[in-house]
Amino acid sequence: MSHALRTPAARSPKVITDADFLKFREFFYRKTGIHFEDNKRYFVDKRLLERMAATQSDDFRSYFVGLRFERDGRELQQLVNAMTVNETYFLRESYQFDCMTRDLMDELLRQKPPGERIRIWSIPSSTGEEPYSIAMQLLERWPGIDRHEVEILSSDIDTTVLEAAQRGVYSQRSVANVPKAWLERYFSRSGNGEWTISRELVAAVEFSQVNLSDPASTRRFRDIDLIFCRNLLIYFDDVSRRAAAEALYDALRPGGFVCLGHSESMSRISSLYRVRRFADAMVYQKPLNGEAP
Amino acid sequence: MGLRKPAPSALHPVREREHARDLPGLLEQLKNPDPSLRRWAARDLGAHAEAAAALGRALAGEREPSVREALFTSLSTLASESAAEALMPLLRSEDAALRNGAIETLAGMPQAVAPSIERLLRDPDPDVRIFTVNLLGELRHSEVNRWLGQVLAQESQVNVVAAAIEVLAETGGAAERPGLLRVRERFADDPFIGFATELALDRIEAP
Amino acid sequence: MTHPARILVVDDAATVRLYHRKLLADAGWQTDEAVNGMEALEKVVAAGPERPFDLYVVDVNMPKLDGYGFVRELRRLSPALQAPVMMVSTEAQLQDAETARQSGANCYMVKPARPAELVLSAALLLGDGTAAARAAAAHPVSGGAR
Repeated sequence: MSHALRTPAARSPKVITDADFLKFREFFYRKTGIHFEDNKRYFVDKRLLERMAATQSDDFRSYFVGLRFERDGRELQQLVNAMTVNETYFLRESYQFDCMTRDLMDELLRQKPPGERIRIWSIPSSTGEEPYSIAMQLLERWPGIDRHEVEILSSDIDTTVLEAAQRGVYSQRSVANVPKAWLERYFSRSGNGEWTISRELVAAVEFSQVNLSDPASTRRFRDIDLIFCRNLLIYFDDVSRRAAAEALYDALRPGGFVCLGHSESMSRISSLYRVRRFADAMVYQKPLNGEAP
Repeated sequence: MGLRKPAPSALHPVREREHARDLPGLLEQLKNPDPSLRRWAARDLGAHAEAAAALGRALAGEREPSVREALFTSLSTLASESAAEALMPLLRSEDAALRNGAIETLAGMPQAVAPSIERLLRDPDPDVRIFTVNLLGELRHSEVNRWLGQVLAQESQVNVVAAAIEVLAETGGAAERPGLLRVRERFADDPFIGFATELALDRIEAP
Repeated sequence: MTHPARILVVDDAATVRLYHRKLLADAGWQTDEAVNGMEALEKVVAAGPERPFDLYVVDVNMPKLDGYGFVRELRRLSPALQAPVMMVSTEAQLQDAETARQSGANCYMVKPARPAELVLSAALLLGDGTAAARAAAAHPVSGGAR
C-alpha cells in the first residue's frame, strides 16, 4: 500500500480516440458515401484496430496516413471489406427482386417491341445465389413469365466461384430466406445438410467470366434490359468505378435499369443515369432515346 | 415461354466496327456525327497514353453528355501529366459542366497535378484555388501542410481559407495549430471561419 | 406546421454542410444533406410525397450535377416534391442571381451565409413566422456598423 504518486500510464496507441473516429468517419464518408452513426462506434473501432494490426501500424495516425496515400487503393479496399457486410445468400436485399417482378418487368415490356426477349444481367454472380434468386423470383412471382421469354446472364471475374455457381451446392445458412415452397420445388437435399439447386435452373442461367473494368471484356454485353450489380462497385477505386459504370451504361438498352447495393449510389459515380423510385426500391435508368440524362 | 438461354452465337455478336481500334482510327471516330460512336471511341482511347491531348481537345468541342463523360473517364484512367495538361485549359471554360468535370477529373490524379500546385494556388479564379486546396488533401507530398499554411496566412477569399482549414483537419498535426489560431484571429468577424477552425483544432491532436 | 420543417442542405464542402446544418438545426428545423445535385435528387425521390423536404439550400458549384442542374431537375418532378430553393454560391455577381432565378430557384445568397441572413431567409421561405421573429430579435438589423 503505497501513497507514492503514480506516473500516468503511457497512452496506449491501440486506442481510437473520439477525434480519430471523427476523422475516419469523414474520410470514409467522402470516399464511399457510407456514414457511420455514433452508435456504430464499437463496430468501427474494432475493425479499425484489426486493420491497424494487419498493416502493423503503431497507432491510428500512422495507419490513417498510410491509408490516405497508398498508391493502389488496396488498404482502402480491405477497409471497405471489413466495414461492410459482404455475405452472399439467396434473396439478399429481396426488395429489389420484388421491384423487378412488381414494376420493372412490366415497364420493360412496354418499352420493347412485342416478342423480344427481356435480358437480365447479374454481375457479380459470385457463387450463384443472385442469378438463381432472380430465376426463382421470376418463376414464382411474375405472371408474365408464362407469356414472355427472359434470358438470365451472370458473370464474375473469378472462375472458381463461377464453377461453384454451376455446381449449385449451398449451405443451410445460404438458403435461410428461401420460402419453404421454393426450397421444395427448386432444391434437393444432400446428406450433410446442404442443398443443391435443380439442374433446370442451372441450365437456365448463362454464366461467363467478365472483368467489369476491362472494356474488351464487356463489349459483347449489349441490349441488356436489367442489370443487378450489387455490392461490387463499392470495392472499386474511383477510376475503376467510373469505368465500370460506363460499361454498365453501354451494356444497357435505352430505358434499361440498374440495381446497385443498398448503400451504393450512382450519384458519386456517373451523372448519366436517372433515379427512379418504385414502391419497393429505387433504381437507376438509362435515359430513353431522345431524353436528357 | 419462360427462362431461356441465349443462343450459342454468344451474348451478342461483336459488331464489326467501321473503324479499327487503332489509335488513328479511334481519333478519327472521335469526330463521327453519331454520338454513340464517339462515345465508344472515347472509351477505347483510355488505353492509349498518347491520346491525352486529343481527348482534351475533343472535350472542348463536345456537347453530348454521354460522350463527355467517357472522355473524362478515359483521361482519369490515363492519369498522366499529359492528361492533367490536357484538362487544365478546361478550368477556364465558360461551360460550367466542363469546368466542374475538369476539376473532378483532375482531383482524381493528384500526383499528375502536383507540378502545377504552386501556380494553381495563385490562380485568379477562387474556384480553381479551392479545387487546388482540396487536391492537397489527396496529395502525398512533403510540402502539403506548408502550402496549406501559406493559404491560411495569405488568402483573402474566405471560401478558399475554409477549404484549407478543412483539409488541415485531416492532414495537420500539432505544428499546424498556431497557423489555425492566427487565421481565426485574421477572420475574427467571421463565424464560419470560427466554426471551421474549432472543428480542425478538435481533429488535430493536442501537442 | 405540424412537424418541424425538413431542410435539405446540398454542398460538396463538408465544413459548409456542417455549418449550415448547425445554424438551421439551432433554429429548430430538421436537416439532411447531400454532396452533389445527383445525390440530392436521390434524397428527394427517396423522401417521396410522404415526407417531402420543405426547403432546399443548394450550392452552385458541385461535381456530377451542379446547383442549377439540380433545380431544373427538381422543378420537373411532381408538385408534391416542390419546395422553395435557396441557392448559395461563392460568386456575388448579379448574373448568377439571374441564372439561379431562371433555373427555378427562389433566392440567391453568397456563401458562407451570415447566420442571421441564412436563418431569416429560411424562415421567410418556410413561412415560419415564429422562427422569423426569433431570428430578427437575436440579430437585430442595424443601419450602421455591426
